[in-house]
Amino acid sequence: MSLFINQLINGIHVGSIYALIALGYTMVYGIIRLINFAHGDILMVGAYTVVVAIGTLGLSPLAAILISIVICALFGILIEKVAYKPLRNSPKISSLITAIGVSMLLQNLALLIFTPTPKPYPVPLSVAPLNLGDIQISFITILTFGVSIVIMMALQTFVTTSKAGKSMRAVSEDMKAALLMGINTDNTITLTFAIGCTLAGIGSALFCLAYPSVSPTMGSLPGVKAFIAAVLGGIGVIPGAMLGGFLLGIAESFTKAYISSQLSDAVVYGILIIVLLFKPSGLLGKSVREKV
Amino acid sequence: MAKNKTKSYALNSFALIITFLFAFALIASGNINNYYSSLLISVLIAIIMTVSLNLTTGLLGQLCLGHAGFMSVGAYTAGIITKSLPDMPLGLSLTIALLAGGLLAALFGFLIGMPALRLKGDYLAIITLGFGEIIRVVIENLKITGGPAGLTRIPRMSRALAESPKDSAAIQFAIVYWIMVMVVTSIFTLGRSRHGRAIISIRENEVAAEATGIPTTYYKLLAFTFAAFFAGIAGGLHAHQIGMLTPKYFDFNKSIEYLVMVVLGGMGSITGSIISATVLVTLPELLREFAAWRMVIYSLTLVLMMIFRPSGLMGTKEFSLIATVEKLEAKWHSVFKRKEHKPKLPFRPHYDVWENQPVLETKNLGIQFGGLVAAENININLKDNEIVGLIGPNGAGKTTVFNLLTGVYEPTQGDIILLGNSIKGRPTHEITNNGIARTFQNIRLFKSMTVLENIKVAFHTRMRYSPMSGILRSEEYASEEHGIDIRARELLRVFDMEDVADDNADSLPYGLQRKLEICRALASNPKVLLLDEPAAGMNATETQELMDTIKRIRTRFSVAILLIEHDMKLVMGICERIYVLNYGHIIAEGTANEIANNEDVITAYLGMSQDEEEGTKPC
Repeated sequence: MSLFINQLINGIHVGSIYALIALGYTMVYGIIRLINFAHGDILMVGAYTVVVAIGTLGLSPLAAILISIVICALFGILIEKVAYKPLRNSPKISSLITAIGVSMLLQNLALLIFTPTPKPYPVPLSVAPLNLGDIQISFITILTFGVSIVIMMALQTFVTTSKAGKSMRAVSEDMKAALLMGINTDNTITLTFAIGCTLAGIGSALFCLAYPSVSPTMGSLPGVKAFIAAVLGGIGVIPGAMLGGFLLGIAESFTKAYISSQLSDAVVYGILIIVLLFKPSGLLGKSVREKV
Repeated sequence: MAKNKTKSYALNSFALIITFLFAFALIASGNINNYYSSLLISVLIAIIMTVSLNLTTGLLGQLCLGHAGFMSVGAYTAGIITKSLPDMPLGLSLTIALLAGGLLAALFGFLIGMPALRLKGDYLAIITLGFGEIIRVVIENLKITGGPAGLTRIPRMSRALAESPKDSAAIQFAIVYWIMVMVVTSIFTLGRSRHGRAIISIRENEVAAEATGIPTTYYKLLAFTFAAFFAGIAGGLHAHQIGMLTPKYFDFNKSIEYLVMVVLGGMGSITGSIISATVLVTLPELLREFAAWRMVIYSLTLVLMMIFRPSGLMGTKEFSLIATVEKLEAKWHSVFKRKEHKPKLPFRPHYDVWENQPVLETKNLGIQFGGLVAAENININLKDNEIVGLIGPNGAGKTTVFNLLTGVYEPTQGDIILLGNSIKGRPTHEITNNGIARTFQNIRLFKSMTVLENIKVAFHTRMRYSPMSGILRSEEYASEEHGIDIRARELLRVFDMEDVADDNADSLPYGLQRKLEICRALASNPKVLLLDEPAAGMNATETQELMDTIKRIRTRFSVAILLIEHDMKLVMGICERIYVLNYGHIIAEGTANEIANNEDVITAYLGMSQDEEEGTKPC
């Protein structure tokens, strides 16, 4: 039983990180229907920023993390302006390839600057874990879970109630109509990328606290997982990303514990396939039927 | 003209053979060292992968991110087979292994395609990515495949095919080169047969393809299975080039690599795929001197290329030397065999005469979406050669009735009888083949195909030749294609559209696009023609012309016509009978005069008095 609960806690921990990153995917997809393959690599950008800020500039861990989050947001804006904006009216697949190109570019630049050798994440966090009988909950788990829940609720409130959030929803429904209604679609899209990448920056810090090794390709695996989480929950739907993230994290940690750690990826993809076959637009996604 | 074609056919074969002999001689004489000859093999394998992926992604228009998965199935199957047949000469065991690898990959393609192809766009991409990764993880955990460490000591083509390494390398090149030529030619000729047209029409507009009589599920699966087959063969070649396989090699980055090649070359352009595969495999090798920078340069090129040429190197066009191959091959028979293929014109409609009974009849037809009753107790009938109108306020359920009749929606109650047989629950393309054709409220043409090709797609089911004879350009292919060409042009002449036959459908003015849609519907040889708001967006002159056209169609093609229209002048002018639909129910039926004086109808069209009705549009 304690194994079960510990694995559940583990799953929720990983799941909250997936959910945070998945939110970025979902928001960007929701607004411009683009799978932003470079999103996972923003994680890596954030991690290296912290490494440089602490190791080279000698800043305090908290300051370094805050700066890294800002840098992530700026990267998101930069990538959107330089690489995606010129392709807004091109075939969707061209944007997809560009996103793949940007992802490769980021990874290889990091490879060039920081070498492939992994670096330790320089933020020590030594707080005693919470003990409840057989069950142990580490401080990082509580922090990760708390931070993600608060952020998701804030985001949901922002998107449903604020003016900027309403513009986002309008643009995602119909970009041309939104433009005609006087919404600055360019700014709205930029804002979406900025928020998505800010979340990736926070996700990066939380991810590195759990797995403190920084390397140029560290972002791709959590990136893919988060992306699957977003699709699982229904891409474009904010609560869907949360649900998908948690489900994926828990499924993964149970497979590792009870079935086989090698097969965990297969199980994750299997769940994705089964869900998509029965509910093609994800768990919380709205199914869109082509009108004839 | 004929001379020209012969010339360019000779030119293509000549180019292929010269390229081959040149490279073969260089390898055999040892002028190209092992490194470069191996690079050349990698290029050829990448071409097979890219061109086959282009079949699904470019021609069929379905995004697939699991192509490397099919490659790995072929690679492991082939590797395991040659390893387990050590006493057999490699030439023979390799042939068996490649075929087996291709077939098993094709089986995987078929099994994965069946559920996956129900999804579209990004979702299909994700689900194929998932399947590709599952294949990889399974291979990683199987004993027979060597697990994560991989399968080693597979006989290498560059060593094991002959005594001397030079000879062996040269034979390896010959094998891979001609397999590549065969794969590329097959996909090219398949793409230009009736099957290729069917596949492309799905990319252009799936709903219209199905309504034109194309069994879309079948063709999606066909393209998917073929692509997987070729990927499996490429995998088998790869296994015997490298001599060892690791599951990691086939992860989704590999699939993405091939997708990049397809998009960069131009989706749907086979020569584009060849060029981009060649460049993208050699480029990183050429940049070896700048070791650290090469991947940065590569990815930067990718991004810039997409920004400045988003439709890829070649777009959907083909390089002319190869484009001529097919014209030439059509001439093969007449020039080399001195044999003229007679056009086969078996396309006469042969329906029984239906004088006493209605050609189409519905019995208490209805449909419910969840709790919403969209149509209920619809009883309509169409007699031979009759023009009938279906009118009603917006949202009354008119298009829903059309969708029920054509099988887009399956009725939840009642029955539909076409020429005496029930068609309830049949798929759309079968209903089309049984005699109902339709047009759409919002025009659905195969936009990037020519006017003539749009028509030819609708002739699809009246042709018989198989995908194989399409690939091999058999006699059957030539005569049927010739016949279809004559028939399609005839049909266009009836509509005075012969001069725009070779224009792209989306370049036509609006009125002609509507006309083309009707023309395409007629090409499938219907007994009943359904027109969904044919006059929408037309001015008074165009509408008048349309009325004449509709009357002309009825006599010339002997079809019964059911039309939805808001333009009362048109409806009252040409319809012999009119049904009025409101809230999913038929509220009135009769001649134009009877309808115009019907109390219920006047109430349904709110705010209209009897005097205003003629010539005005209801709102």
